[in-house]
Amino acid sequence: MEQDAQLVQQCLQGDGSAWEELVRRHTRRIFNICYRFTGNRTESEDLSQDVFLRVYRTLASYRSAHGGFATWMTSVTRNLLIDHYRRTKRDRATDSLDDKMAIVENKESAGRRPDEQALLGELSGQVQAALTKLSPELREAVILRDLQQLEYIEIQRVLAVPEGTVKSRINRGRIELARVLQQMGVRPS
Amino acid sequence: MTPGMHWTCEQTEERLSDYIDDLLTAEDRAAFVAHVPSCEKCGPLFASVAHVVTNLHSIAEIDEPPRLVYAILNKTLGPRETVTGWQSLRRFARGLATMRFAYGALSLAATFLVLLTASGFNFRHPKMADLKPVNIYRKADAQAHLVYARGTKFVSDLRVVNEIQSRLRENEQAPVNSEDALPQRTPGKEPGSTDGTKPGPRQQNRADGIYRNLEVLADEMPVFGGLYGGRRTR
Repeated sequence: MEQDAQLVQQCLQGDGSAWEELVRRHTRRIFNICYRFTGNRTESEDLSQDVFLRVYRTLASYRSAHGGFATWMTSVTRNLLIDHYRRTKRDRATDSLDDKMAIVENKESAGRRPDEQALLGELSGQVQAALTKLSPELREAVILRDLQQLEYIEIQRVLAVPEGTVKSRINRGRIELARVLQQMGVRPS
Repeated sequence: MTPGMHWTCEQTEERLSDYIDDLLTAEDRAAFVAHVPSCEKCGPLFASVAHVVTNLHSIAEIDEPPRLVYAILNKTLGPRETVTGWQSLRRFARGLATMRFAYGALSLAATFLVLLTASGFNFRHPKMADLKPVNIYRKADAQAHLVYARGTKFVSDLRVVNEIQSRLRENEQAPVNSEDALPQRTPGKEPGSTDGTKPGPRQQNRADGIYRNLEVLADEMPVFGGLYGGRRTR
């Protein structure tokens, strides 16, 4: 965490290698957040690039006193993901009927590229498919808590909402996810 | 459930994650544990949510595409400098002009030269046939045998020298009381000849060969100089 702050300082002084180090340290995490949120590798790649571009341009506005660099970066990612969600809402509305059919017929893997399906384990694929059925509010809360393993206080900072709201969203997100998985035929063993 | 502990199904649904994340007070926790397992509605709900959370925690991170880091760096720091044509060739040549590369090339050339010499390649009259693996093998085999034979001969000669040297030492250390003790030289006989006959050519060649080796040793090792100086200056 301290190392991140130091690298940010070096970046601000024009050190390109420090920025390269920051990119290498955080690319996987950011890509995973994007992928879990969108469920699409290509979109996640583009979004990850956008996140780093925004971070690079607004690096001077980062204040270490307000939290860790990773939290700040996650916050930028979250904002971009919400923007992206709103932009692509119309496309998803068209696809929603197909998605519902897929749930009923339990054909979640349909429409997914074979390499994507191979990449994901069966469980991971099912959870990923279920995640994309949640509302963005609940989805981001579950991703940050259960996939990124952030603390409640960190999620509070990222989402910029009160603690009670964070707790409520995580709880509702988990219950909703369990319900969707049950609809998909995945039951606790 | 003990008296005073009251927990409803609505509370379970609201605070399920607080239990999972260990955020309940001890009292609420006890009430939760007392209610949920026996409740037809809350039991399955808790089981399914706990299962989901366990599954989520067990999901590993996926690998980012390898090109992603470079794409990000290109977008932020600008495209990396790419050199083509003559410039790239010049850069390559500049890379070769280093001490490390020079040492490497020199040692490689030396190794090649040694191997070629060992294989019996004739540098004065080079032939393509000499580079055939069969010929290289044959010549290398012959060379190896030759070196072995020379080595054996050299060791044998050294033994003879050593023997002569030890006998000379013995003679020097032997007490000489009178001149009578010295063997009388037979007039008209060469030293080394006991039967009055001259040494045969093979015998003479062997003696000459030994003395040649002694001369070489005398040149290399001064300790032999005094002993065989007479023969050398003959």
